[in-house]
This record gives sequence, C-alpha cells and structure tokens, in this order.
Amino acid sequence: MKRRSFLKGILAASYTIATATSVLTPLSALAKTGAAKRDDWLTTGSHFGAFKIKRKNGVIDQVKPFDLDKYPTDMINGIKGMVYNPSRVRYPMVRLDFLLKGHKSDTTQRGDYRFVRVTWDQALTLFKNSLDNIQTNYGPSGLHAGQTGWRATGQLHSSISHMQRAVGMHGNFVKKIGDYSTGAGQTILPYVLGSTEVYAQGTSWPLILDNANTIILWANDPYKNLQVGWNAETHESFEYLAQLKEKIKQGKIRVISIDPVASKTQNYLGCEKIYVNPQTDVALMLAIAYEIYTNDLHDKAFIEGYSLGFDRFVPYLTGEEDGIPKTVQWAEKITAVPADVIKQLAKTMVAGRTQILMGWCIQRQQHGEQPYWMAAVLATMIGQIGLPGGGISYGHHYSSIGVPATKASAPGGFPRNLDEGQKPIFDSTDFKGASSTIPVARWIDAILSPGKVIDANGSKVTYPDIKMMVFSGNNPWSHHQNRNQMKKAFHKLECVVSIDINWTATCRFSDIVLPACTTYERNDIDIYGSYAKRGVLAMQKMVDPLYNSLSDYEIFTRFAKLLGKEQEYTRGMTEFDWLKKLYNDCKDANSGQFEMPEFDQFWQDGYVHFGEGELWTRHADFRADPEINPLGTPSGMIEIHSRKIERYQYDDCKGHPTWMEKSERSHGGPGSDKHPIWMQSCHPDKRLHSQMCESKSYRETYSVQDREPVYLNPEDAKHRGIKDGDVVRVFNDRGQLLAGAVISDNFPKGVIRIHEGAWYGPVGDDGSTAAGAEIGAICSYGDPNTLTQDIGSSKLAQACSAYTCSVDYEKFVGHLPPVTSFNGPTEIAV
Amino acid sequence: MSQLTKQEVTEIAIENQARAVIYEFLSSLFAKELDGSLINQLASVQGREFLSSVALEPTLAASINTIVNKLMALNTEQARLELAADFCGLFLIDSKTCASPYAGQYIKDDLSKVDTGENIKKSDRALVFGELHQLMMTYLEKSNIQISSDFPEPADHIAVILAYLAHLSLHASHVNQINFINVYVLSWLGDFTEQVKLHDPSGFYTAVAELTLQWVTLDIEQ
Repeated sequence: MKRRSFLKGILAASYTIATATSVLTPLSALAKTGAAKRDDWLTTGSHFGAFKIKRKNGVIDQVKPFDLDKYPTDMINGIKGMVYNPSRVRYPMVRLDFLLKGHKSDTTQRGDYRFVRVTWDQALTLFKNSLDNIQTNYGPSGLHAGQTGWRATGQLHSSISHMQRAVGMHGNFVKKIGDYSTGAGQTILPYVLGSTEVYAQGTSWPLILDNANTIILWANDPYKNLQVGWNAETHESFEYLAQLKEKIKQGKIRVISIDPVASKTQNYLGCEKIYVNPQTDVALMLAIAYEIYTNDLHDKAFIEGYSLGFDRFVPYLTGEEDGIPKTVQWAEKITAVPADVIKQLAKTMVAGRTQILMGWCIQRQQHGEQPYWMAAVLATMIGQIGLPGGGISYGHHYSSIGVPATKASAPGGFPRNLDEGQKPIFDSTDFKGASSTIPVARWIDAILSPGKVIDANGSKVTYPDIKMMVFSGNNPWSHHQNRNQMKKAFHKLECVVSIDINWTATCRFSDIVLPACTTYERNDIDIYGSYAKRGVLAMQKMVDPLYNSLSDYEIFTRFAKLLGKEQEYTRGMTEFDWLKKLYNDCKDANSGQFEMPEFDQFWQDGYVHFGEGELWTRHADFRADPEINPLGTPSGMIEIHSRKIERYQYDDCKGHPTWMEKSERSHGGPGSDKHPIWMQSCHPDKRLHSQMCESKSYRETYSVQDREPVYLNPEDAKHRGIKDGDVVRVFNDRGQLLAGAVISDNFPKGVIRIHEGAWYGPVGDDGSTAAGAEIGAICSYGDPNTLTQDIGSSKLAQACSAYTCSVDYEKFVGHLPPVTSFNGPTEIAV
Repeated sequence: MSQLTKQEVTEIAIENQARAVIYEFLSSLFAKELDGSLINQLASVQGREFLSSVALEPTLAASINTIVNKLMALNTEQARLELAADFCGLFLIDSKTCASPYAGQYIKDDLSKVDTGENIKKSDRALVFGELHQLMMTYLEKSNIQISSDFPEPADHIAVILAYLAHLSLHASHVNQINFINVYVLSWLGDFTEQVKLHDPSGFYTAVAELTLQWVTLDIEQ
C-alpha cells in the first residue's frame, strides 16, 4: 500500500464518526463462550409438514422430515428459501407519500416501492393514528380488518387472532364470511347435507379401501393437494393412496377420475379417466341421474327414508319442468362425454359400493353451488350415504381427512376476540346501515361500489364504504380475482396496512408494512394433523427474528401498549406463559384419555403422540337412525329440493340443482369465439397458495425462463407456433400475463393450467421495472388472477368464481421484461 | 525491506488510523439513512474539514464534491425523507431497482470452498445469511469483534465489510488487507456500484458507492 500524504490531514480534522456509530463492537462474553450457538436438532412444524432443523452458527442449515412423516413433501426444500429470502420485509416501512400526506396521499402511487424505514414505535403510532382517523370520520364501516387467509401455522402466533384481537381493542370493523377455497360448497351443503362437509371428517380410508368397488374422483387431485395442510400435515393419507394404487393394479377397486385434465393423481394411480368439458359437470351429473332414474336403478327406499324433495327434482330431470329431458344425448353435446360412456358410468355407480370423492375446484366457478348439490343428489339416488366405502365426501384431498383420527383434544389458540367485559376504545357499532359482514370475495366490489345492495344466502348485504384495510399473514393480491379491478379499488382506499414476512404484492400495494418473523423464529405449539389429531407438536424457535422483524405476539402486544391495553391484551402473561397455558389446557382436556407429560418434558421431547386413530364412517349415525341423528338441514333429511332456497327466488340458484350456462365458457360456450381457451387455476403442486413461491432455488425446480409454468395442449401450442420452454402471453379483456410454456399431453385441447399463488409482478407499459402500478400492466411472472373475473358464484354464496375464465394465448415476441415479483438484483454479467 | 525509522512507523500508524476513519465513514453511509445527527456531524467544522481533507486526493475529489453538494441540499425534512426513500429503495427493499448491500448476492465464485473446504450449493447463494455471512462471522470472531446488536444485518452487508476493513487497517498486515480486499471486496464492489448507479434516483448514493470503489482501488495500490 502506498503512503499517501492526504491521509495525514484526515486525523487532524478530528472527525470522530468512527467510534460513535460503528456497526461493529467488541465481542461479547456470551459470544466468546459460544453459549449463543446451539447446533442440536430442534423440532418444528408447518403447513408443509413437521421437521427437524439443525443450525450452523445461528443460521438454519439442514432441514429433514419428522421421524413419523413417511411421505414428506419435497416442498421441505423450499423452507430455507422462505426464511432467508432477500425479499424479507426487514424493517417497518411506510410509503413515502403516505408519510408526507397521510390519508390524503396519492394512492395511484401504490405499488411503486417508494418507502422509507421507520421505527416500530413510529410505524405502530401511524397505524393507530390511521385507525383513529377512520373510526372518527367514518365509524366501524370504514375499516375492513376481516380479510384473512392461510397465515403460518402455530396456535399462539396465529396472525389472524393477534391482528383481530388488537385492532378489535381499538374499534369495531367489517369482517368476512366464507373463504376463497370453498365459498360455494360451504354455503350450499348446509342446506343439502346439514354441514359444510368440506371441513368435516370423512369416512376412514381403510373402510373405503375395504368396501368400495368403485371410487369416483370428481375434479379431485388428492395426490397433489395432500402435500399441505391447515396445521402441521402428517401426510398419512399418502399411505392409503399407495394402497389404493395397489388395489387398482390388482383389479380390486375401480377408480374413475372425471376431470378435464389428466391430474397428478390420475397419473400416480394409473386409474380410469373420463374427460369432461370444463364447467359442464352438472350436465354430466344430470345425465347420469336421468339414466339411473329412467332405468329404475335408484334406491327408492333410501330416497324415501332419508331425503326430501326428490319429487320436486324429477320433473326437471325428465324435462317436464323446462322441456329439456336431461338425457345422455343432451349431455353429450354440452360435456363431450359420449352418451354410451355416461350410460356405462351410471350403471357402474349403482352396481356396487361407490364412493364419490369431490374436489374443491369445481365449486370455484359461476354457479359453483350446483355441482356440489347435484353430486349429493346422485349419492342419494345411489343410496349408500352412511355406508363404509359408499356415499359422498367433499374433503378427502384436504388436511388428511379420512385418516383414522384419535379423539384427542387439540391445543387451543391465542384468543381472537376481546375477553368478556372488555370494550374497544371506539365502541361504536353503527355501520351506517351497511352490513358488518360481507361475503369474502366481494370486498373489492364493495370498495368500488359502497352502498350497493346484493343478495347473499337469503339476506341482503349492503356494502360498507371501506376506507382502510388491514392484512396480516394474508396475500389477497394473490388469491383475489382480477388484478386491474383491484388496482382501481385500491386507489379509493385511504390507508392499507400489511404485516408479512416477505414482500408480497399485497405489501407492495400497502402504505404501512410491518415485518413479522417466520414460524422458525418464534416458539409455538400445534396439533400434528388437523383432522387426524395424531399428537401435539412443539414448534421450537430455531433462530432469533431476522432483521427488525417481530413475532405476531410481540407486534400486537406493542400495539396494545400504545392503546393503553397491554395488560388486557396479554392478560398479564408473557409469550412463554401463553405457550404453557395452551399446552396445559390441552393436557387438562385430554386428562384420563390421552396422558400428556408436564410441559418441560414435552418441550424437551418436541412431541406428544396420541396413538393410532379409530375407524369411522361419515353419516353412519344418520343412516342408523335419521330421527335420533338428523342432519343439520331444515328438515333433518338430505334436501334434494330446498324449500328454503326456493323461497329466496334466486335466478342463479333455484330450489333444486340446475344446469346453467356460464357467463363465459370454452368449448363452444359463451365468448369462446373470442377467447376459446379455458384457464384452470387450481391449487399449486409446488407451494401452498402463494406461500413459498418466493423461495428461489425451489421455484427454479419448476419455473420456465424464470416464469410460472403454463401447461399447454400439444396441438393447441403447435397451432400457435409455441414450443416447450417458450414464453407465452396469456390474455383476455381483463388483463395479460407472461408465463413459460410446458407442453403436456395431460392437458386437452382448449385447456391451459396456471397454478394460482404465482406472485404478481406487473411491469410498466414501457417495460420499466419500477412501474407496473398502472391499470393493464402485464404480469411478468404469470399470476393467473390477472385474468380471472371477479363475480360472485350466485346470489346464494357470492363465492369466488376464478374457474369461470376464458383466455387466449400466443407466443411472446419482443423484448422480454424481467420478472419483478420476487425481486433480487438484476443479474450482472460477470 | 529496509528498516523503517521510528518517525516512519509513527506516520504509517497515523495513516492507518486515517484509513480506518475513511472506512468507518463509508460504512456509516451504507449502514443507515442520513439522519439529523449524521448530517450535523458531517456539516460540523470537523466534518467539513474531514471531507475537504479527503477531497485533497484528486481521484476522490469529484465524488466528495457531489456528496457535499447533495448534503447541502438536505435542508428540509422532505428532502431528507426523499433521500431516506432512495436509501430504502436501494438497500432495504429487495427489488429489481435495488442494489443489494450483501456481498453474497454478487459473488459468484465458490469462495467458501476455498476457505472451509465445503461444497456449497450454488442455489443457496441467492439466500441472505448465506455462506459469505458465515465466513464474515468467522473473520469477525477471530478478530474479537461482532456486529452491533442495533445493526441486525447479515455479516456480508457492505457496512460490516467496510467497518471490518477499518478494523483491519489498524490490526492487520498490509498483505492480509490487500488479500481480503481483492477476494472479498473488489470481486463485487464494481457490480454493486453499477447497480447503485443504475437505480439511484438522486445521485447521492451513486457518489457514495463510487467514492467507496475509488477509495478501495486507491487503497490497495502498491
């Protein structure tokens, strides 16, 4: 190193910054002794399963499946990428223009990434001030803090509970009803079968495997969807799917999958397949029913003894009511299922024991109530509801429903609501004539059209005038429909707060962004297996919260303190006190049936096992005695015809299941001359909704030219001059996106698939990466909800209708914009 | 090597102290936004003398002048916030328009293999708190220093690396310093500076990044 004379003058200037603000300090005694470094294996859990984690110098190093998990998902390889993602929300941040102008900020700037870092105190004070402002100026109808989603697992730190309890201590707010996954299903089935069915335990797999002759997988892909669960997933269902595969091979069970596409499950099981035109399943079901009825194959005794309204349904089936007999020939024209195939299917379904297993996608469409209702009618006509290996299930693809469950009690959670006697600071319940609860997927419509009155499930809903949204552990800029419509709505909001771990699009379109730590940076507790209730899992903190992030508990305890309600919020207990309480309450509830060790022992062991489960048949009690064990329907019976729904006089959900044309449909349906392709946006195979999409190295195992894959039919692709690996522009009148072509025989003509949960990454019209906030901007990564339509399923459920979506696509030519969804610096050529 | 006189030893020690001050100064600019106290420090008599002294080196003068001019323009709260938003967009939020402050996001060669003998998966290099962080942690520990608790960043953050260079200026041989700079600093500082230039809205951080690159390049000249 050269001697340099100018250096001599520097010390003479006595500039003292060095010692005052250095980011380095002498090594602490603790670090010297190595006490801070724990390198043993610790236990934790997630939606993706339970696992063991080992650290290296305080950083998560190795992740391996929990010993009991015999079928772990390979999503386990994405865990590190979620925690150590460059896109972590590192510090509390506020959008600059919001900081400068508050509720009068230029909201069209949302999405442009112009934020400044603030302290937690500043951020929480701004949050509180905005709530004060909204409650003072508009009352509770101005605030929607009820739009919640899949969160991260953990009973103590559940982001929904913390946010809603804390915000609820400030004031009242608008909430949602229903969810995006099963909105139509969970609304119609209580009328038909007396419960949501979608979130209910189903007949045990061993009973199905022992008793069913035929299993109908209707729009159902369990092999894909069972990889993740609401709580720590056990993956035990995969053992039964393996047994099913063996039984198919041995010719002991027939499995018939009815689906427009060749699903992952079809390919795994090697089962029979029946192609049906998208969105036409109800027509197919009606023709099966017609065939069964006209051949006198229906179970009259069961229909008589256990259901109501068959006589009101038959005139529609036969055409007496509307002049259209629902014959196999009629259905063939709509569904493309050959008449003789439908006839055979009808015969098969009544020939032996038939278990119908419905998926969820089929009800995420316009009139999504109908296929679920009609499938229940079919199962009733077959007459095997309540028998092992017979009847109908709406959940065997979800959270290990059907795995024999223990009867143990699961640990409760941190309270979501205020305790008895507690009152919010702003205690007004005056929603100004608007509804305090709105159907989950109608919130954007509400923001755009406040005061509008809609029908919903027998009531009238008046949209509140929403001015502020609070999201925590929730990414509606992934799961809601029609991005450009969302942009318009967000321009109308005065304040948006988002609390998350990584920079989701929802964070990007917010004003105040607060960093929550991940599951692996806090202590928690969870049930192992949502429905199987296999045991209680310790979720041991692996590393301290990264950057300036905090646990949900800590964030909202600080917020409550700002409200002067810290004591009320925490009940005077620390985070670890709560953990012990949740465990001990669970221990007490299980006392005498499932013995649990003292907390310290549990925490050291990492797990308490409840043992094997018991076999169970859904609706067996109802079948045994429908008077003593009635269903939860108005009549206590299966309602093939619902007087209650008939009384609503809805044109799009009548008194019995009905085939109705969709607002747009491929394969000859409305609008198919302009946009001839049906876009399927089902739950992803390689992530949980949008969770883990940001995990780069794992994403690279499936992305194409850094884009989300779009699965294309070979003939359609060839016709458009598209080769495997090309970038494709998918579009309709609502929007446009770029995705990477994967050409596959699994997808029939006129059908494409883009998995939902692909992170939204708009780029500017001029290709600029900084922009993208403008209406119409192309999504650079391939979020299918750029294209889907934001309409309610019907006046009944008003549920999300993402599956009613027609598009077209072409090979993308021109300058390819970079993907802006996940960020990371632009690659530098070295 | 000829024997150094006592005076030369003293002078070199003074120069090393000065080098440490420059490294700490640069570190402080990348560590956080320019807040009131930092602006006051730089605007003080000592601060201005310090900046003038650095500007005496011709290759650094232009960058220093830009920094001084930009500092003088920070006379309103809004101007300070705009600069804070520049800092945030460049260094705190990962985006296509950021300049990641983490060395691990740039360095492509498998340096860790050289040092630890471990074979690191290339894909993991996209993560923060990755191998470069681990390596820097090891270096810091060997030097009996650690990252301050109020700077919750990975150890391969540019502010940590520059502060570590300040430490090395005072405690390591020139050979070791030059090696460290060549392997762990100059291998990515150019790319980093390019990123800052590309995305910096106002030019302040471009000047800071350029000053850093110019100074480090100058510092290791033999």
